[in-house]
Formats: sequence, C-alpha cells, structure tokens
Amino acid sequence: MHSLYRLTSALLSLSLCCAALPEYALAAAPSGDRTTLQATDKAPLTPDQRILQALNRFTFSPRPGDLEAVRAMGLDHWFQQQLHPNRIDNSALEVRLAEFPAMRLSTQELVARLPDGPIVRQIANGKAAIPPGDSIEHQIYANQVERVQFRREEQKQKQQEAAAQTAATSMMAAPSAEQPQITPTFIQSTLAQPPGQRLQTLASMPQPQFDAFLKALRGRQREDLLDGMSPEMKETVGALESPQKVVVDELLSTRLTRDIYSEAQLQEVMTDFWLNHFNIYLRKDEEMPYDLVSYERDTIRPNALGKFEDLLEAVAHSPAMLLYLDNWTSIGPDSDSAEKAALRAMRRGNLHPDPQSINENYGRELMELHTVGVNAGYTQDDVIQASRILTGWTIDKPQDGGSFQFDDNRHEPGPEKVMGKKFKAGGEKQGEQFLHFLATRPATARFLSRELAIRFVSDNPPQSLIDRMTKSYLKSGGDISKVLETLYRSPEFWSPQSYRAKIKTPLEYVVSAARASNADITNMQPLIYTLDRMGMPLYGCIPPTGYKWEADDWVSTGALVDRMNFALALAGNHLNGITTAWTAQPETPTEATPTTEEARLEAQLVAGGVSETTRSAVLEQFTAQTRQPYQPERNTMGERMRTGGKSVIAIPTVFRPQPNHLPPPRPIEKQDQLLAGLLLGSPEFQRR
Amino acid sequence: MQINRRFFLHKGALALAGTTVIPQFLIRKVMAETVTSPNKRLVVIFQRGAADGLNIVVPHQERNYYAMRPTIAIPQNQVIDLDGFFGLHPSMSAFKPLYDQGHLAIVHAAGSPDMTRSHFDAQDYMESGTPGVKGTDDGWLNRALQAEDLHRRCAGTCEHTAFRALALSADVPLTLAGKVPAIALSNVNSFTVAGPKPSPAAAAFQAMYGESGDQILHATGDETFDAVKMLRAANPAQYKPSAEYPNTAFGNNMKQIAQLLKANLGVEAAFTDINGWDTHQNQGGINGQLAARLSDFSSSIAAFWRDMGDQAENVTVVTMSEFGRTARENGTAGTDHGHANAMFVLGADVKGGKVHGKWPGLEPEQLNQGRDLALTTDYRQVLSEVVTHTLGASNLNVVFPNAQLQPNNFLKLVV
Repeated sequence: MHSLYRLTSALLSLSLCCAALPEYALAAAPSGDRTTLQATDKAPLTPDQRILQALNRFTFSPRPGDLEAVRAMGLDHWFQQQLHPNRIDNSALEVRLAEFPAMRLSTQELVARLPDGPIVRQIANGKAAIPPGDSIEHQIYANQVERVQFRREEQKQKQQEAAAQTAATSMMAAPSAEQPQITPTFIQSTLAQPPGQRLQTLASMPQPQFDAFLKALRGRQREDLLDGMSPEMKETVGALESPQKVVVDELLSTRLTRDIYSEAQLQEVMTDFWLNHFNIYLRKDEEMPYDLVSYERDTIRPNALGKFEDLLEAVAHSPAMLLYLDNWTSIGPDSDSAEKAALRAMRRGNLHPDPQSINENYGRELMELHTVGVNAGYTQDDVIQASRILTGWTIDKPQDGGSFQFDDNRHEPGPEKVMGKKFKAGGEKQGEQFLHFLATRPATARFLSRELAIRFVSDNPPQSLIDRMTKSYLKSGGDISKVLETLYRSPEFWSPQSYRAKIKTPLEYVVSAARASNADITNMQPLIYTLDRMGMPLYGCIPPTGYKWEADDWVSTGALVDRMNFALALAGNHLNGITTAWTAQPETPTEATPTTEEARLEAQLVAGGVSETTRSAVLEQFTAQTRQPYQPERNTMGERMRTGGKSVIAIPTVFRPQPNHLPPPRPIEKQDQLLAGLLLGSPEFQRR
Repeated sequence: MQINRRFFLHKGALALAGTTVIPQFLIRKVMAETVTSPNKRLVVIFQRGAADGLNIVVPHQERNYYAMRPTIAIPQNQVIDLDGFFGLHPSMSAFKPLYDQGHLAIVHAAGSPDMTRSHFDAQDYMESGTPGVKGTDDGWLNRALQAEDLHRRCAGTCEHTAFRALALSADVPLTLAGKVPAIALSNVNSFTVAGPKPSPAAAAFQAMYGESGDQILHATGDETFDAVKMLRAANPAQYKPSAEYPNTAFGNNMKQIAQLLKANLGVEAAFTDINGWDTHQNQGGINGQLAARLSDFSSSIAAFWRDMGDQAENVTVVTMSEFGRTARENGTAGTDHGHANAMFVLGADVKGGKVHGKWPGLEPEQLNQGRDLALTTDYRQVLSEVVTHTLGASNLNVVFPNAQLQPNNFLKLVV
C-alpha cells in the first residue's frame, strides 16, 4: 500500500535528519504513546473503548454525551436498537426536516411545484402551457419562462452585434433591457410587511423587477426578506428565484441534516454506504436532482438495513438509476420497437436506418459494481446478454417525473444466458430472475462483505472476517442486518488493531466535527461547499464507481490543509449560519487555565483523547498565542466558492447563509475557539 | 556531507523561507538551488471516462467510419484536416496551430493492451503502468521519478523540493502514488493554513503533525507544511497568466500548473485530469456533449502552452484515457466501452505535425473483437519515450516492469 511506502520514506527521512533535529522531536518520534492505540498497542479494548469503537463505526462519530448514554443503556441493547430504526424516537430530526417541505413530495408533485428546465423551455417554446394553479404558483413558472426568453434574446443580440461588427456597419446602440428601479423606500416598505403579504408582493413582481429587488438587498435586509415566513413560504421565495436550485439545496441540506442529527445513525451510515455503492451523479442531466429525492428517500433508505435483493430490485426499478446508467433508452435489436423503426425508415426510402440497439452501461455496472464484482469471471458476451435481458426497463415520461415502466415493445425477445445460467424469455420477469440470480451469488456475498468490512473495520480487513460475513449473507438470504450483526460479534471488529484504524473521509470528517462540537446549524451551505472543495461533493462522484473508503484517497497535502482550515473556521464561528459555543456557561470559573480548558474540550471533542505530542503542541502554541494575538481570516470558508468549472452545487441566493451576528468573543472564548479548532484539526480527530 | 545539505534544503531553507528575517535574495537563491533537475518538466493529463478517440482524431477517409456512425460521425467537410486522412474534431481548432508548428504529435490506435472494459480496472491499469496486474499500488510516473534518481546515481540522496511531484486534484492519483512524496492541491490560492501569514495555529498544527506517532498523517503532514511554506515564499497571488484559459475546472487546473511551473518551485512532474468522457448517450457530432468537452480540453492545453511562453521549451505534455469507445454508435446516439484510442504529445522537442503509429483500419475484420479500433501502439511505449527524454528515466524496467520496452522500438516522437 502507499502508506507503507510513506512509512518507509518517513522513517528514512527521519533517520537521515536526526543529526539536525532538536531533542524534543527525537523524543516524540513514533514511539507510539499511551492514548493513540495504534497497531503497536496490543492491549484489549476497555469497556469504554468498545463503546467508542462502536460509536465511531456505526454512527457518524460520537456527540458529547453519547458515550455516557450507551454506557447506561448497554452496548448490545444500543446496537440492536440501531438495527431497528423504527424503534428509535427521531422527533427532533423531524422538526429540522420540516424546514424542507419539497422533500416530502412525490417526483411528479415535485416537478409540478418546482418546474425543471425542460418543462420551462417547453412553455417558452409555446409547446406547453403553464399548468393551472394560484397566482403564486403561476408566478414561479412565469419567472422561469421569462428568464429563458431573456437569455435567448440576449444571445440573439450578441450574435447580431458580432455580425454587425464583422460587416463593419454602423454600430447601433444595443437596446439593453430596462433595469427596473428599486428604491430604498420600496425595499423598506416591502420588508416591513407581514410575511404573507410580503410573499404576495414578491410574487406580484414581474421577473425583471423581482431579480432587481433581490440584487438591491443589502446586509441584514437579506435576512429580513424571509423573516417570519413558514418553511413553505421560504421555499416559494426560493422558487421564484430558481425552482431547480431549490431542489438541489433541499436535497443536499436534508442529507447532511440527517447525517448530523438523526438518532437512527446506523440507518444513515448505511444509507450513505448504499448511495455510494449504487452511486449516481447529480448533474447527469437536468431531471436527476428531482429523481434523486425519491431515490434516497424511497429506494435506498427504507432498504438500507433490509434484504440486499430488495434493495437491488428497488435500484433497478428507480428512474434515477435507469437514467444515470442509460438503461431507459436501451432497445433490443430484435424488439418490436426496433423492427417498426426499421420499417418506417425503409418506407421513407432509408435503406440504412439508424441502428436500434442496446446500451451496455447498466448491464455492465450492475455486475461489476453492484453485485458480483469484476473478478467474478463474466465475459463481454455476458455483459451483452445481461443488457438484452434488461431492455424495456425504462421510464414513463421522464421529464414529468414519471416512474418505472416495463415496455415490452423495446424488450429483446428470447432466452439469454449469463455466467452459464439460462434465463427463459419472459418480459420483465426475465430481468427479475436475473436480479435474483445476481443477489444470491456467493461472489456477490463476498464482494459486499469485503466492501462493508472496509467501511466498518479497516482498509485491509482480515480474510477471516470477510469469510464469516460472506457465510452470514448466504445463510440469511442476503439480510444486511444479519451481516452487520456478524460483523459486530466478530473479534476482528474489537481488536486493538481496528481501534481508530480508519481515516475519516471528508464527509465523515465534516459531519463528525459538526456532531462533536454540538454546532448550531441554521444553514448547511458552508458544509456542502466544504465537501465540494475537499473533493467529495454529495452526489458529485461522476463515475459509477463511487468514492473510495480507503485512506489513500483522502490523505494528501491539499486535504490536510482543507481540514485544518475548516476546523479553525468552524470553531471560530467563521462559517456563516453555523455557530459553536466552547466556553462553559455560566461564566467559566476563574481558575480555568489553558490546561484545564484543553482537558475539558479534548474530552468533549476527541473520543479517546489525543496523544501527548498533540496536547503539548496545542498548549505550547496556546501560551504563545497570548504573546501574539490570534487573528483568523474573517469568513475564509463560508463565502468562498469553488472557482471555475461547473460545481455540483447551485443554491438560490435567497438561501445563502448570512454572517453570524455574534458579540466579539471574550478573551477566554477566543482561547477556547483556538483550542477547539486545533483539536478538531489534530491527527487524532482525522481517525475514527 | 550530503545528509546535512539535504536536510538544509528539504527542511531548513523552507522553514526559513516562511519567516520575514531572511532577505529576499537569499530565498531566491535557495529556491534556484533546489531546482536540480535538468529543467525538463512533464505534464500528464488523464481523460477519465474513456474518450472517443475516433471522433477526436477522425479517420475521415475511412468509408466504414461513416457507415458505423450514421448520426454522430464528423462529416468530411467539417473536420480540421491534418494530413489528408486524419482530421481533428471541429471544436479543437485550438490544436491546429500547435500541430502546424510541429509541436503537437498524435499517436492513434494507442492504449493499454489489457482487454478490460471496466473504467475502474482500466484506469488502475493505465495509472499503475501494469496492465492486467491487479494490486500494483504505485504509479508509473512515481516510478519514473525514482528511475530519474537512479539514472543520476543519487537515489536516496538527490535534492528535491516538496513540489517535485504535483497533482492538481483533491487527492494524489494512482499515477503519482508511491515512494516519491507527491503533493496534491486543488487550489493554489487557498493552499495556506490559518490565513496567508505564519500564525500560532499553523505552528501548532505543524508541531502536532510533524511529531505525530501517526505514521500516515505524520508523513503527509510534513509534506504539507513544506509545500505551504514554499508556496508562501513564491507568492502565487502576484501571478498574472499571459493567456486566457477557459473558465472550467480543467482550464483552472492547467492555469495553476503553469503558475507553479513558472514559480520555479522545482516541479518535475505534474498531473491533472478532466472528467466527462463517458458518452454512452447523445454524445453529439460536430456539436453537443463531446464537442463541448473537446473545446475545453484543447483550448485549455493551448492556453497553457501560450502561457508558458519561453519556458514552454522545457515542457512536455502527454494525454491519455483508459480506453477508447466502440467504433459503431450504439442505440442511443452514443458509444460504449471500446479499446484503442488517440494520445496527444505536445512539446518543443516533440516531432509534431504528424499522426504517429500504425493505423489498423476500420473494416469489420480489422476491428478488435469486431467492435473497436484495434490497438497497434502500447501506451507504455509512448510514455517510455517521453520519460526517457524529459526525466532521463533510462531504466524502463523500473518504470514499466515486465513490459520489455526497448528504445529501438520507440516511435521517435521526440527529437
């Protein structure tokens, strides 16, 4: 592994450099100290370490108080509860999720309320009308249609100008769109209106005026715009600006909200696992964000701890996957649909009609990435036959939020043979039998067990563990909960070598920092952008492989810089819309010293503590800090956007987080912020 | 004695570079001295997702090309003709001057000899440089840098900066992974800890990572702080590109590579990638998905070349993609996973203005497995020639183990 090379080169450089190294550095060289418990320490885990191990692996890392709660409840009982999420009271999460009403809608309702690009263009082209609805609903469509028409007009003008310039004719003053005047008085009077009336006013503005109004808002006026509105009303304001961006914003925000705040943590950990296993890219096309809402909510989460075959079936029937891996357009070469197309073409005199054929994308990834794995011994011919079996699995009216449809006309008739197994002709049934076949293969059991072991145990999980999990999978008919129970009962999981053996992925890191710090989060955008910058945007992995779980992919120079900066920004309240409080209330006792404050915050933030090296580095600089005041960059993270390129993320400006209006921190608070930031950026906090 | 000097260069000078007490001229001198390689730099670009080489360098005299691609073929009158047989996709006009000036060479029907059609495996094979061998955990470019040290007879003692092996990406790609430390960064301007100036917070992080018993994080932490300091001393904020890049992720990466090369940080090998080539559906012909991607690809590289100005003479750029795509279009106006592809090599010493390699033809019996462009040049052959020339990596068995590559089989891409 790379890490081994890194180790050798690190040791090499250490031994080469010793001559010039100061003594304290030599003393602190990798002798392994009491608290870090890496592979050098063979002592079995203490009861508390066992709880921390379980919390670190089956949740997005512990929050303050979790250790004590599990201790009181009993670890086994806690784990059983996590395996049965419907037994867990999650009402606090539900309150937070109520902020995102569109996420409860069916795909069809969602597309109707927050129209997507193709629908808007259809209306702009005069091929469809704005659907009936009240005046506000109407205005959401009207604004979008006007924007499309304005952009087209602009484009046309540009072309005409370019043509005029090359023809060297006299330049006419380009007729620019009239900028509606927004007076400060008008803004003030609008913002002073009660919420319902304010929304009416916004919806009564023609699109250019609405856009100019948003642009004219300054400072706190942006907050006042949405002040006192219900979640639905806020959503409507966002939709007047951009319905598509509202969908993306709510999709990404709810996913992080669940990861951070759900009590059913294992369900969210497994939802994240399967969303990565059955990876889908948000920007595959314009409908994808809409389909992903149902994909996460109806396809993945309810099946995350159930039978793998049910999950596989649900994914195969989901519009999101059919769209992402192109199967919805795949047509059997001998299907009715292909024959009719050929006949039609011939009647028109075209003797070489467009080929009607299969698209292999889904057939291949279904075997390679979703089930048996690339080493299962299948051939290119197997991929073709698998793809033929799946022809006809398509989407009814994909642009209107349509659902799965089996289209017999597109289905390749006849039997097929994959990996030596024959599948009789039988329409959709043939595909279902094929999925059953794949879900029950020992190769699938091994492939999934290994991936789970890498996620939950270590980057190089012991073969004995994988074998035991494989057996459990086959014995239980692919029951994911049973496989996880086997993992939980395995000595390999509890071995000292597994303790803190995993380096957090960016998602795990960001979510764990938010959880450990008990952050008050009113806006997820800074976290969403942080993940983007760290190379792990939510739903942002383009290839079907998904992100990797191993450390190699996430430990790099750039990654560490980003993590340290994020830690300081989070702890120092420089992320807009996210606040943390580190200083004990009421007033910290006067006897609090950097050492006692460090101990208190270390216990809160770093499950299992930090090494002596880290602690002294923190304290050393902490005392130095009194000599040289710490002045962090203001808002280094919250407002910075990824430069260039098409970012996965696009949010309505009205939902942008506003600066935190906090009183300037007292000296002790400032010190605690720095302490907490250093602990969250420490090597120990990078592990779980 | 080598050891102390190496330490001074690797650690001491860089540590000093971050403080303000050292006069600027001394920093510049130290920087100049740390750049020890013979000034040849290699830039490697990976097109992830399997680019459709047949619509990139179009064989416009092949009858069967048009027969197999009824809706997506590039018409003869639309290609940018190169030599009467091949032509560039019309959205790659930025490449034409480079080709005409003799700097840009093309190798067609090249790629990895392994038959896998899995993106995942094929990218791993191509990046590790060991097609068909799973589990190789270092990359060919990292080994090429090791071979460079062997060639200079200073393995283990050569002086290099933290920027020697650089990836413009969120993580170190397999191509660059291995014994030689490599750094990854995605944005030059935000590559600083706790603000642009040295601070107690940065010092604390440096101490805890530098002295950590955590082996993985310790090593990366050291590389990180070395690089942060060097970059701070080089002051990238003052950089003004002398060419206009497309405002895309790839364009930005190429711009930053130029910036870091020009800052004399000791970069020898730089890597970046460009996504979005997996055109199974509606890939388009002269316009559309692939056309947009190619415009970004070619104009970013051309801008990079202009931006490098006089220093371009020391730079070689090479591109690759895990495999090509099917010669026939599929049922959804796209193409599926295929085999051989086209590679680009750009450099002052490159024998450009030519499409190299043996053309296998596109008649049904000439296709690989009856469906893809057949392979006539192993991509390792191309890379061997390039690394020998740029890095002086003469021991090709280190770079591409068991590939049996011989200099007398080189395509003579580089003069």
